[in-house]
Amino acid sequence: MYRRSFKDTKSSLGSPNPNFSKPMVALRFLRALSLVRCSGPGARSPSYRARGIRRAAYACMAASAGPRRAWSRALLRKIRRRPGRGLRRPRAVIRRRRPVGGGDPLEVALRRLVPGGGCMEYCRLLEEAADYVKCLAMQVRLMQTIVDSASHVNSID
Amino acid sequence: MESAEAPQISGVRSGSSGTCAAEIAESLRFEEEIQSLIVHPNFEASNGSSFTALLGLSGNQAAELLHEHGLTAAASSPAGAAEMWRLRLGGDRAAGELRLPLGCSPTFPSDAAIVESAARFSVFASEESPTSSSGGGISPRLKVEQLDPDSPPSVPVLPSPKTKRSPAKRKGTCEKSKARGTAKKIKRTEEKKDPTKATATEEDTADEKLPYVHVRARRGQATDSHSLAERARREKINARMKLLQELVPGCSKVGNFLNHSRDLMITGTALVLDEIINHVQSLQRQVEFLSMRLAAVNPCIDLSFLDHILSTQCEPGAGAANGREALAWNPAPWSPDSAIAGEDVRRLLLPRQYQVWHLDLLGPQQSSMAWERDATPHHNALPFPGTGTGTSLFGYDSTNSGNEGPPAMRHSCLFQSGPIGPLTM
Repeated sequence: MYRRSFKDTKSSLGSPNPNFSKPMVALRFLRALSLVRCSGPGARSPSYRARGIRRAAYACMAASAGPRRAWSRALLRKIRRRPGRGLRRPRAVIRRRRPVGGGDPLEVALRRLVPGGGCMEYCRLLEEAADYVKCLAMQVRLMQTIVDSASHVNSID
Repeated sequence: MESAEAPQISGVRSGSSGTCAAEIAESLRFEEEIQSLIVHPNFEASNGSSFTALLGLSGNQAAELLHEHGLTAAASSPAGAAEMWRLRLGGDRAAGELRLPLGCSPTFPSDAAIVESAARFSVFASEESPTSSSGGGISPRLKVEQLDPDSPPSVPVLPSPKTKRSPAKRKGTCEKSKARGTAKKIKRTEEKKDPTKATATEEDTADEKLPYVHVRARRGQATDSHSLAERARREKINARMKLLQELVPGCSKVGNFLNHSRDLMITGTALVLDEIINHVQSLQRQVEFLSMRLAAVNPCIDLSFLDHILSTQCEPGAGAANGREALAWNPAPWSPDSAIAGEDVRRLLLPRQYQVWHLDLLGPQQSSMAWERDATPHHNALPFPGTGTGTSLFGYDSTNSGNEGPPAMRHSCLFQSGPIGPLTM
């Protein structure tokens, strides 16, 4: 269910949102969270929910980063592809622009870490990595805040 | 061959500039300083970063030097920038900065990332406009350099063929047509950053005065287009590494420093990469961990008020009326301030005792609010007819900010009165 919502979220992005507006990411994430919860909160185990939440986190991070970023596109693609869709739309996506020589183990590791990093040139990879790190850090801060406030709420009650 | 050509070139140039003696004297002085700076062994990776590093040098000196030289650089910013940092090199020699100055790349100003960091450091970007004719030369450079930081950070990186084309373009704007070809060649066959030799030669001075120097070839290195492009690419990479360093905390370690502490120049790229990878991995692990925590904590949180907030977010000053939420909602406008997000979240999740309605900001929408409140808010009428896009509840689009005012009020039906019902989809 939240898959559909992610798609809607993405399609509703008229323009790429700069990732500096943290409240928007926060809202999107909270919205996605609520979606995850409502997909059967009682019936699912926490681990399933955790996975769903993680997916939601990455999805809204990618969605708020904007479609301009290669990593956000790759991330969203990965998230949406997971439900085992059989049909691959024959989109003209140039997946392998330059196959990686893979000489430097560090570089290879970085490619694996950054979503969509397998197809990029090295300096593009660095650029995307910088943006990815920035968004990740923001997402982590956001989630930390949520968890803190949530536990604060719980402790008050 | 270089020395044979160089005097000609300098002769040509000084002839055209008219301040022959002064220029040569200046450039000789710079030459020695540059040579001394070149002695440093670690030139390879500091190439690109040297440029931005040098921008931290005194802009006064640079401006004054430019002024003296009367460089009417034909508004070619990389050339101007190259001049700038080269001149600053001379000025900053006393600071003992051992940086390899040479190897300015044509991609520099077109690379928004580099120019950003450059602009950060650069006193040059602050108006140093000398009054004389060189002011005309400087201000276009200033203009061009300031334009680049304005460009969005997502400007795609110019591929190297394009950067090679642009030097040719900029060459065309140079007045000294004759000196162009040979001067470029000279500049290409310029001194290599040979750590061992430091001979002050004439050709260096000649190259220094070139207004359109884009890439500085090192002595003994090949000067064909391949190596040039390669060097440009390398410098691009170095610039990006520098950016990454600044993003990743703890990357600018002492061991990585080769130069002045002002500049975050790291030449141990392996260390930097390693650090970056560790950081990314730790961030991803944190996301996992936090998501697990959230999953554990989540059933206690009522997050359905979000929709209303989302819809009203774009309205300035639309303090969302939260309905009978367990929220204390501050009607302050949702300013895009990163610090606020945390507070708001905390506020949003406050316990139930706080049930405050802030209807004062609703104004004309109060009638609809009343209507909304009466209806059982459980079934969240997800389709928002107000939005032009016709998207569902979560087709929230920030670009619809203008239209969402009154129709957004209809969303308040999502608020729930009693038990927390999940959003029905």
